[in-house]
Amino acid sequence: MNTAADKLDTLQAVELAEGVVIRLRVAGPILRAGAYALDMLIRVGVLLVASLCLGWLGIAVGERLVGGVLMLAWFLMEWFYPVIFEAGKRGATPGKRILGLRVVQASGSPISLGQAVLRNFLRWIDGMPFFTYGFGMASCLSTRHFQRLGDLAAGTVVIYERAPVMPILPVAPAMAALPLPVGLSADETRALVSFRERADLWPAARREEIADQAGLLSGASGAAGVSRLLAMADWVREKRPVAGGGGHARHVRKKEDGR
Amino acid sequence: MTVGDFEDKNKQRWAEYERLLEGMEKGRPGPLAGQLPRRFRELCVDLSLVESRMYGERLTGQLNAWVIRGYELLYERRRAGWEKLAEFVVVGFPRTLRREWRLFGLCNAVFWLPFFAVMLSANHDVQWVQAILGADGMASMDQMYGGREDQIAHLRDQYGSNFMMFCHYIRNNVGIDFRTFAGGMAAGLGTLFFLMFNGIYMGAAAGYVNHAGNPEAFWSFVSGHSPYELLGMVVAGMAGMRLGLALLRPGRLPRVRALAEAAKQALPLIFGAALLTTLAAVVEGFWSARLLPSGLKYGVGIAGWILLLAYFGLAGRRGGDAA
Repeated sequence: MNTAADKLDTLQAVELAEGVVIRLRVAGPILRAGAYALDMLIRVGVLLVASLCLGWLGIAVGERLVGGVLMLAWFLMEWFYPVIFEAGKRGATPGKRILGLRVVQASGSPISLGQAVLRNFLRWIDGMPFFTYGFGMASCLSTRHFQRLGDLAAGTVVIYERAPVMPILPVAPAMAALPLPVGLSADETRALVSFRERADLWPAARREEIADQAGLLSGASGAAGVSRLLAMADWVREKRPVAGGGGHARHVRKKEDGR
Repeated sequence: MTVGDFEDKNKQRWAEYERLLEGMEKGRPGPLAGQLPRRFRELCVDLSLVESRMYGERLTGQLNAWVIRGYELLYERRRAGWEKLAEFVVVGFPRTLRREWRLFGLCNAVFWLPFFAVMLSANHDVQWVQAILGADGMASMDQMYGGREDQIAHLRDQYGSNFMMFCHYIRNNVGIDFRTFAGGMAAGLGTLFFLMFNGIYMGAAAGYVNHAGNPEAFWSFVSGHSPYELLGMVVAGMAGMRLGLALLRPGRLPRVRALAEAAKQALPLIFGAALLTTLAAVVEGFWSARLLPSGLKYGVGIAGWILLLAYFGLAGRRGGDAA
């Protein structure tokens, strides 16, 4: 399904073999650039400290030997630092972990060593032209899940490890629960419920402005419209008959199939 | 049933599930670990219910997070061990090479044709080779291969030099392999460029030494590690071309899917290239610069070529070969 909401929303719905749909929040290029910068600092820091310590040691065991160890460390840091961390248990380099990111397969499961190798060895081409990350950025912005070229080849996405919690500030309606006058689709019902949950984020005037968009449903405008909508949302949550919930389940199904 | 009722009814179960998750995430499974699959499926059902009953973002988000954590635990992969590596070396890698024999031929041609063309051009007109190497390049070739055969060995006199050069070769040459592979992403052009560039430059170096230096110093030095280093680079080129060809000719798949499939096929090649080049660095660091009779060093080089090609052609044939 390619609705406008799908293109805007960074929530990626993935259906598991268990038949349930989980939602992964995909991370954008700015945050990932931040994680990259942090990793760079860590790597440079480790190499600096290592070269200082080894420099002292070098007086004892010979500078050539120490030079060799440093070159090996440089090589490992350059190519295998991200591979080892991303193929590990956490699925994230230290920089990504600090920012709460994680690399997973497009299906949401942890990535394999091979995938970590692919996405990180291809980083070089993402960094082109002239190490500006122009290719990677262009690829991120033109794919739906912000995948750079290495991600596309490896079939991976970068997600928030723990999705940031949306603020929930519901407003208690001024009247008793009100049954819905007409049947609504799943998306419409969800919008109604979220309206109730976020109502207290907005000042009264803004709330009324939003409620007026659904004037046809509430049959009123202004403050009266707001409280009628809230009452309907209450009814959906608390009083709606769910025993024969087949209708709703079918809506949900259809949405996934169309993906 | 209201949201509150639903939460009250299941609170206990969810708390147990979360305790199970936390224990396993910290690597302490505990006696109840076997319950995870069942409890995970229960949570999946809960999430579906909460979604379809529209119990709101708070509960949905919470259950979503729990299901994701359980999913990651259940579908974690077993890390590959040494057996896997041994199997790859003995069977997997040579089989992949034989399956990709067309690419093997292509990448070899892209490297060797310029190499020999440039090297032999020095016999007729040395200016081409001089133009490719430039003044600095020629000076360093003179320094290494200009005089007697023991020149390189003397450069390695200081203690630890061999080890340092080994590390230098790893960093430099394996890095070149990986870049050659990544260049395939530019529709194969990057890969072709690196292969051809290396062919031209190495051909120029060989041609220059043949013309103006001491060929024996050069050839006896490079012969030992040449099979692993050069074919390692060619194999990295094959991995890059796999990607490039998938982009140019995706067949019946969409390009992104074709790319992902090709990347899977390229993976053994890139691992193999890294292994070969590491082997080359070992030989180049600890053997090639030794002060030994040239005949022995040529012998080792030739034996290396024969063994490596035999390995590519024959290893892992038993038990069914796709080639």
